[in-house]
Amino acid sequence: MSWRPTTLHVSFLTLAGWALFLGVLTGRADLVVVAIPLIAALVAGRWAAAPPALQIRHEVSADRLFESHGVTVTVTLRADGPAPLVELLEPLPSRVRLERGRHHAFFTLRAGEEVRWEFALRCEGRQRLRLGGPHVRQWGPLGLAVAETRYRAPQTVAVYPHLALLRHPPRPVRTQTFAGNHVSPAQGEGIEPGDVRPFAPGDHVRHVNWRATLRLNTLHVTQHHRERNADVVLLLDTLSEVGPAGETVVDVAVRGAATLAAAYLARKDRVGLIEYGGQLRWVKPGSGRAQFQRLLDTLLDASVVFTYVTRDVDLIPPRILPPQALVVALSPLLDPRFVRAAGDLAARGFDLVVIAVSPVAPARAAVPRGPVADLAARLWALERRAQLDEYRRLGLTVVDWDGVGPLDTVLATLRRPHRRRVLA
Amino acid sequence: MLRAAGLGLVAVLVAFPLAVLPSPPVSWLAGAAFAVAGAGVVARLVPLVTAGGSLALIAHALALVIARPEADPVAATAFGATLVLLLALVHFAGRAHGAAIGAGVLAAQLRQWLVVVTAGVVATVVLTAGASALGPALAGATLPVMVVAAALGVLLTVAGVIALVARP
Repeated sequence: MSWRPTTLHVSFLTLAGWALFLGVLTGRADLVVVAIPLIAALVAGRWAAAPPALQIRHEVSADRLFESHGVTVTVTLRADGPAPLVELLEPLPSRVRLERGRHHAFFTLRAGEEVRWEFALRCEGRQRLRLGGPHVRQWGPLGLAVAETRYRAPQTVAVYPHLALLRHPPRPVRTQTFAGNHVSPAQGEGIEPGDVRPFAPGDHVRHVNWRATLRLNTLHVTQHHRERNADVVLLLDTLSEVGPAGETVVDVAVRGAATLAAAYLARKDRVGLIEYGGQLRWVKPGSGRAQFQRLLDTLLDASVVFTYVTRDVDLIPPRILPPQALVVALSPLLDPRFVRAAGDLAARGFDLVVIAVSPVAPARAAVPRGPVADLAARLWALERRAQLDEYRRLGLTVVDWDGVGPLDTVLATLRRPHRRRVLA
Repeated sequence: MLRAAGLGLVAVLVAFPLAVLPSPPVSWLAGAAFAVAGAGVVARLVPLVTAGGSLALIAHALALVIARPEADPVAATAFGATLVLLLALVHFAGRAHGAAIGAGVLAAQLRQWLVVVTAGVVATVVLTAGASALGPALAGATLPVMVVAAALGVLLTVAGVIALVARP
């Protein structure tokens, strides 16, 4: 780092020039004397010692967090020589606000002294937050000289969508073969009682239903339903979006998808994801923490990519979209291509639940308030309600979610068919 | 706190011409200087303070021309020192606005400004003493020669300072 003059020189030179000019013009020595401290200051500012070397350590408290959580940035500064005035500025990326402290600071350091500077950030919306390290400025005497550099410590913090509590995720109609939390139509070992039938060789004594046995005078046993897991595929519509940055329908849908993924994975289900948009991306169904991390990372990058190309759901391999899977589609239902794809899946017999994320509130937030905008929003909401009723008449299971209220409340009202008696 | 100190320095600055001649033309100019420099202090804008300082200088020159008092090097030095302090203060206030200020920063800055101002005062005393010694030697010089020499000196001084600060 080396000193360079600042714009303050212009002010000092202007005033010194005025004083000298007026002194000569009026023939008054007083005015020439006025210029001397100004010129002395300029010379002193130029003769400052070389800026000392600084050692900077830049630490971020977390590399992964959720929207509602904050991240603390700690900068440790140490000077090899005396630094009269050191300025540090950490540029804040968009959609990040300061929660605690300041992202701009001034310090005075003696030789070998170390200072710690801390501030907390909160991210508004999912994103990959990139913190590049602070800008460092050392100021010379009177601010007449400055030495500037950028401490580069690129660090990325993944800010995942907010997870809400979900007690009532849509129950899958079909289950898989592994143990889980869903009551399967199949009979076997389990705790959910099923049919009562006459005793057969090989039945456990503990399954004997003594009440039925006494009434019918022959041994009867109680059968049970197995608890099995399910395959759930989240189908995210990224064909279109409306709303202000960070609060678009895609952001709301991503929050919903993350919440659903967490809820299903907690129930030992296998969860997959298909991003149906300009680019067709997917995550194969799986379970466990690693799968949750994969899903969150994919959801983090979900965005609208404009394209005229319509991709059919036929392109999706069966291992990504298993035939027995429950498909939960999250969409504002603004693009007819997605509506066609959802209709296609339902027609093929997929167990499909469409969570229709309302675009009215995000669009309303993006335009200034006014009577015309209010009327348009009300008309749009009515038109949308009629459209959803039409989809329901066509056989789609559609749940309307405004994106503001809890998803759990909306899904609690969803009635799903029982299939316990279909299989013996 | 920095704003209050800045406004105090502006008040001191405009007091110099008013102390020489508290008459309407000077007081108008001093009032304008106070308004402009005060606005600069409040808005933390160095260019406005520079403009206000220039107005104060013009008001001071006007007062000196009209009143024709004895030359007062102490008051002139104080005027120059006030200008230096005011510019440094407003520049720092503008940079530090909204930032976290570490312990000891303000004290260190104040110390540094006082050192520079003291250096300026010492330079003034030395130069004034030198000029006083040189004065009798130049008593015989005719007025146009003095004006040309002074103008040349001013030009050389300003050019030298610009060359000094613009040096990489």
